[in-house]
Amino acid sequence: MFGEQQRFVLLLIAPAALLLLLFQVVPIVIGANASFRDWALYNPRKTWIGFDHYVAVISDPAFLYVVLPNTFLFMVLSVAGALVVGLALALLLNRPFRGQKLVQTILLVPLMVAPVIAAIMIRWIFNDQFGIVNVVLEAIGLDGQPWLVQRWSAFGIILLTDIWLWTPWFTLLLLAGLQSLPKEPFEAAAIDGTTTWRVFRFLTLPMLRPVIVVCVVIRAIDAFRTFDIVWTLTGGGPGRSTELFSLYAYVHAFLNLDLGRGSAAAIIGGLIILVIGVVLYRLVDRIAKV
Amino acid sequence: MAMVRRSEFLPWLPPMGRKTLFALALAFICFAFAFPVLWLILTSLRPESGVYYVHRGTEFTLGNFAEVLREERIVEAFVNSALIATLATVFSLLVTVSSGYMLSRFTGPASRLWFGTIYVFRCVPYISWVLPLYFVTQSWGIYDTYTGLLLPHVAVHICFFSWLMKGFFDGIDPSMEYAAMIDGCTRWGAFIRVAVPSALPAISALAVLCWLFTWNEFLFALILTGNRVPMITVVMAQFVTEMGLRWNLMAATAVMALVPAFLIALFGQKYVIRGLRI
Repeated sequence: MFGEQQRFVLLLIAPAALLLLLFQVVPIVIGANASFRDWALYNPRKTWIGFDHYVAVISDPAFLYVVLPNTFLFMVLSVAGALVVGLALALLLNRPFRGQKLVQTILLVPLMVAPVIAAIMIRWIFNDQFGIVNVVLEAIGLDGQPWLVQRWSAFGIILLTDIWLWTPWFTLLLLAGLQSLPKEPFEAAAIDGTTTWRVFRFLTLPMLRPVIVVCVVIRAIDAFRTFDIVWTLTGGGPGRSTELFSLYAYVHAFLNLDLGRGSAAAIIGGLIILVIGVVLYRLVDRIAKV
Repeated sequence: MAMVRRSEFLPWLPPMGRKTLFALALAFICFAFAFPVLWLILTSLRPESGVYYVHRGTEFTLGNFAEVLREERIVEAFVNSALIATLATVFSLLVTVSSGYMLSRFTGPASRLWFGTIYVFRCVPYISWVLPLYFVTQSWGIYDTYTGLLLPHVAVHICFFSWLMKGFFDGIDPSMEYAAMIDGCTRWGAFIRVAVPSALPAISALAVLCWLFTWNEFLFALILTGNRVPMITVVMAQFVTEMGLRWNLMAATAVMALVPAFLIALFGQKYVIRGLRI
């Protein structure tokens, strides 16, 4: 039925395709089915209710005015923060100095820390009674803050934790990118006596652009679904003011035990990020070709 | 040869001042990045009575670690996490190396379709498929078992790693494989004996990343396991609510969870840096 080459091609992707089908496609289809039904513990018949769950999620003020703005704000600030710090560190590590290997190893530390552990550490550091931050603040005569029970300070701490966690990832990929750039343009610029800023602005940045764009796209898509650090740091609190989209779906499905509504929220989020993903992919394609 | 003068930061400073400033900035950055981990280690060494005043006091103890290791559930969680991480690494690589090779060496509708599929599924948020996966694993009878956690962990890497592997194979000249095939190698022979060995640096980089990712992963473990297969991240997150104020024990557990990841990363760092040129 197939030629020898087609058989080879199909066999190469068969295991991956099978796993993808069983553990991603099938669950998504079942989740879509659940999102149209009254799929809760008290209703064993799982009545078909059409788009009711979708309407409920979209008209939920908590989703519209808290969860979605939080998610987008988090995505933009987390990616921008990690990109700026990560790029600065990559540039720093790209010039030789004594102890460079040691500094590089220290800067990569957050990469090996599980988000859950990072969240536990930060929670302890910002503990309102015994955390070191408040101890230091009180020692220099300022008032300690209940960091994690105020909306914006809690959001800021979640953001800070995320940037701390993901900066090394940017550093690593951008450093690899920097080291594979051709040397000649930089030598020419040095002979001409170009200033550091102009070298960065007109040589490094444009040549590094494809790598930057790929990193940003990958990271933006991941930041959208952040779950673990928020869950461990604030659990979405105080109240529900730091809930992100993944948390919203999880809370509805497993804490309120309304699996239909949770699935609907998960699918709405999935559609949003799919649109963003396709737009970003177009962008990458255009920039990579320039 | 012409003298090439490096352009420096802050040219108005004398060289000594520039060097000092640079060293200070470096020290500050390293401190900021390492501080949370150092603080965690310090907390884990404090006895119960001293944990609320970590910054003062001089008593230190290894008792927290001993106490944590007496908890059967925590030890079990460490074993499970290590086992799942290792198995997931092996299976993910087996599956994605061949899929990335296909994407790199063949063009045409099949390849384009597979690439599109991978990109789309890479974007799907975990919660959108792990949430319903909870019913799926239950109805297949693999909920809260090794299989039920391992296979989704393999599936999650397919998209990203196939994409990375494609990039690596794109950077390897295929003429060696053609030469092998002219000399009588089959396609499989050319793939396994020629292409895979030359991609080994990249494969090692992915192995390190995959192990770390699985060891650190939380959401899958939270949703797909119950009491029978405790995973270390879930056990730690439960600590925060159940053990409440016992920060010394929590810190000790977290430090022990950091050690394997730290060793793997330290050992694999050079492969990752070399292998990740995208």
